[in-house]
Amino acid sequence: MAFFFQELVNGLTTGALYALVALGFSMVYGVLKLLNFAHGDLYMVGAYVGFFVIQWFGGATSLSIPVPLLLVIMFALAAGLVGGLGVAIERFAYRPLRDAPRIAPLITAIGISFFLESAALLLFGAQYRVYNTPDFINAHSGITIGSVTINSVQILVLVMGLILMVGLQQLVNWTKLGRQMRAVAADREAAEMLGVNVNFTIALTFFLGSALAGVAGVMAGLLFNQVTSTIGFIAGLKAFTAAVVGGIGSIPGAMLGGLLIGLAESFVTGYLSSTYSNLLVFGLLIAVMLVRPSGLLGQAQLQKV
Amino acid sequence: MSLDSPPPAGPRVGSDEWVARQAHRREYLPSWLGSLERASERAGWWPKLAAAAAAAAVLPLFGLGQFQLQVGIDALVIALLAVGLNIVVGWAGLLDLGYVAFFGCGAYGYALVSSGQIGANGIHLPSYLSIPLVMAAVAGLGLLVGWPSRRLIGDYLAIITLFFGEAFVEFTNNVAPSVLGGPNGIVGVDAIRLFGYTFTTNKSYYYLLVIVLVVTMGVLRLLDTSRTGRAWRAVREDPLAAASMTIPVNRVKLMAFAFGAAVAALAGTLFAAQQISVFPTDFDTPILILVYAGLILGGAGSIAGACTGALVVMVVYDGLLRSPTESGYLFYGLILLTLLAKLRPWRRLALVLAATVALGYAIHAIAAAVSDSAVAGGPHSAGLIAGALRDWVVVPASATVAGNWGFVALVCLLVALVQVSSQWRTILLPPTLYLASFVWETRLAAEPAITRQLMIGAILIVMMNARPQGLFGSRRVEALT
Amino acid sequence: MSDPVLELDRLSLSFGGLRALSELDLGVGEREIVSLIGPNGAGKSTVFNVITGVYEPSSGDVRFAGRSIAGLAPHRVARLGIGRTFQSLRLFLNMSVIENVMAATYGNTKAMPWESVLRLPRARREEREVRALAEDVLSFFGQRLAGYRWEQPAYSLSYANRRRLEIARALATSPRLLLLDEPAAGMNPAETHEVTELISRLRDERGVSILVIEHDMHVVDSCSNRVVALDHGVKIAEGGFDRVAAHPAVVEAYLGKDPGALSDGG
Repeated sequence: MAFFFQELVNGLTTGALYALVALGFSMVYGVLKLLNFAHGDLYMVGAYVGFFVIQWFGGATSLSIPVPLLLVIMFALAAGLVGGLGVAIERFAYRPLRDAPRIAPLITAIGISFFLESAALLLFGAQYRVYNTPDFINAHSGITIGSVTINSVQILVLVMGLILMVGLQQLVNWTKLGRQMRAVAADREAAEMLGVNVNFTIALTFFLGSALAGVAGVMAGLLFNQVTSTIGFIAGLKAFTAAVVGGIGSIPGAMLGGLLIGLAESFVTGYLSSTYSNLLVFGLLIAVMLVRPSGLLGQAQLQKV
Repeated sequence: MSLDSPPPAGPRVGSDEWVARQAHRREYLPSWLGSLERASERAGWWPKLAAAAAAAAVLPLFGLGQFQLQVGIDALVIALLAVGLNIVVGWAGLLDLGYVAFFGCGAYGYALVSSGQIGANGIHLPSYLSIPLVMAAVAGLGLLVGWPSRRLIGDYLAIITLFFGEAFVEFTNNVAPSVLGGPNGIVGVDAIRLFGYTFTTNKSYYYLLVIVLVVTMGVLRLLDTSRTGRAWRAVREDPLAAASMTIPVNRVKLMAFAFGAAVAALAGTLFAAQQISVFPTDFDTPILILVYAGLILGGAGSIAGACTGALVVMVVYDGLLRSPTESGYLFYGLILLTLLAKLRPWRRLALVLAATVALGYAIHAIAAAVSDSAVAGGPHSAGLIAGALRDWVVVPASATVAGNWGFVALVCLLVALVQVSSQWRTILLPPTLYLASFVWETRLAAEPAITRQLMIGAILIVMMNARPQGLFGSRRVEALT
Repeated sequence: MSDPVLELDRLSLSFGGLRALSELDLGVGEREIVSLIGPNGAGKSTVFNVITGVYEPSSGDVRFAGRSIAGLAPHRVARLGIGRTFQSLRLFLNMSVIENVMAATYGNTKAMPWESVLRLPRARREEREVRALAEDVLSFFGQRLAGYRWEQPAYSLSYANRRRLEIARALATSPRLLLLDEPAAGMNPAETHEVTELISRLRDERGVSILVIEHDMHVVDSCSNRVVALDHGVKIAEGGFDRVAAHPAVVEAYLGKDPGALSDGG
């Protein structure tokens, strides 16, 4: 039973990570109806930002600043830089294609994903960059309940994930900005006519979504300890799945989907074998699409004629 | 209709304005090139296809080496894939991101029934049996993959197929290693044997691929002008209207999927036989992106465009970008061509070029005066270009870090260049050009494997934004609803 | 109205809690032209969408030539012999004019892909027939869609010609019943007059029954055998044009409770 609960904790932690990536992905889909294939690569960039922040302050073993401050800088910088990158991508590559055939921005997104991945390979090399998290966050600290350990990194990820998700939900539901985002998502032209600054709203959505991916990247670095240029692709795939399973465009759906996939993955890895975890995620996706094409929390769209 | 007065130019009552405008706008190249253009417009599709086939057939007679031949074979395989992908993406308008998995299934399928992999003695089916069998099986698989997404909009199809592609690689890597070979793949695949002839040499595979590609293009062209082709395009244009016009939309979509898969499988069988082996990594995402880049560059929706685009992409990717000399010519040549095409009037062009040259010499002189090591590296390009650039471009002794920062700055500058006004563009161009050269000489030319991937990604982004119909396609109109 | 081609029987449709159509009865007889009128949002296009299988009715039945077609997929409905046009033009814009029309014969032809590729006899015969049908249908519009336009892309057509092409495309499905959604929308008076004649000619020369949605009362008046008025998804009047147009409920639906206040404005 202890093993079960340990896997549950692990699953929830990775699930929170996937949920954050899926959240940004889903937000962007909401306002632009665009599958941003480059989203996973933004997560990868975030993970690199975190790594270089650690390097900048002396490396994992000889940090020149206190750990909490380091974490704040890592998250803030990753959110800011990756958010900015997301806005730049939107401005440069997606905005000109807003009225193009639907397939055009999708192919552009694939191109951007590939470009970002290659650029990371060029700039940062093919080798794994290691965070060495245990050197500055004690792996054995944390909470132990019976024989189940939740270490401090997991606590950090879970708490931050929860705060960000709830915060975003509040933002979208209760602020003027959130109202504008929902208006643009519902009908861009009508929103524009009613005085919503559509370009600004879309850019801001990209910023928020990309920043979430950047934060998730830093969390992944802390959690899994290593970064390389190809981690974005698989993470992106899982985020798509999480978003689709939960109901694409729905924020609670993305959270639910992310947690579900994290848990499923964790249990399959724990009880069966890690080789099948990706195939399982795929199977889950197919199953949900067959049973409930609009996702668990999504709403069926009315076909307009 | 009076015969004695000449018809006035331009639109007039009773004639069609569109035809008049198009005829007026149509420009031909000067002199004999224009005549050639007109002649090619008058000629039907099959003389052109035959001419292209003849050109491909005589190419090896000019003494291609084994390397060039291999590049040609790879290019033909990718062209075949692009032509097949065109059915799905270009005609039926479905975004299939698992297309390479069908290619892989074809290759693995052929390898399994043409090697010692299964059973004690292995299975060695004759090619005239194995190839159609594999194609049919993979077409069936295509139906299966398309099935869950048949009720769904295009976006979901993209996700499902993307996953399918990823699952294929996972599957071949991990499942049943005794049969599929895991990461070590399957080796010792039989050569193709048809009509008593065994294809063993690269040259024979080159010719086989040319024949297969030409036949496939012909078949698809005939299909395009039939009821099936019309139904595909109708579904792409407007699924609901198509359904109201008696077209069973889902079945037609699935059919496109299956046909695309069958062509991919055909390419896969030839690929496996030519390579004598298959590995999971042969069918990973980079190949998919490559096929898409070819299709997009040539123009989705046109068979000739898909084929040409893929050939161009592959010859550049696989052939030219490997040698520092040729890739240098390509890089600087493309920059010059773009400037020539985009920068008008010529005075502005001359100004920009002169400013770039002057800027380079100035920077080089300053850098050399400050520190010897700042210019110690020398350009990475070889041959004529290296000589020309030696005193112009600054290449520090240890160039990696500077080159990386240069790359980031270059991308930022390029993004800025697209956004700013034309006046600022003129001012920003010389530093951008110089920076491009700097990054090329310090980093990009040194890392051809990464550079060519960057190029493929850039092709997709730039083409979609600048010319979505591709180099050879005709512009499509989208209904504003 | 001896033997109705189309019969709607207590047809209802709701989206969530919203009732788009309620208990609608409607019949179209052989070679009859029925007009469907009503203010915007009355549910006229929704009627078309239910008949053609885009929406499935919540209750009630749709019968075509005696057979229930409620819930059938759109392409099946079309193959049974119901052709339609769309209010917001939905042409295959990047296909040529004649291909637009030829594409609509898909369900009534049978050649398999390999027959088309090998140009086997059946494929060649069908292709000839389809081409002839397409040319015949386009010739129906006289000079408007004459031969030299056939190879042009559909997007190059003018607005009025696009409307004509929509009708031609619907005709190519060999319909017994034609559903025309605002065929005269956006046309000038001369073109509108032409549409009026066209609708009558469609019935007389091609023998189709027609259900037409139209806002232009001149068109409605001069071509329809019968007029049905809808408001909020409910049938409020039915009969000859003069009777329906003067019906108090119709006047109220169009002009509000106190039409006298508006009558000066014309």
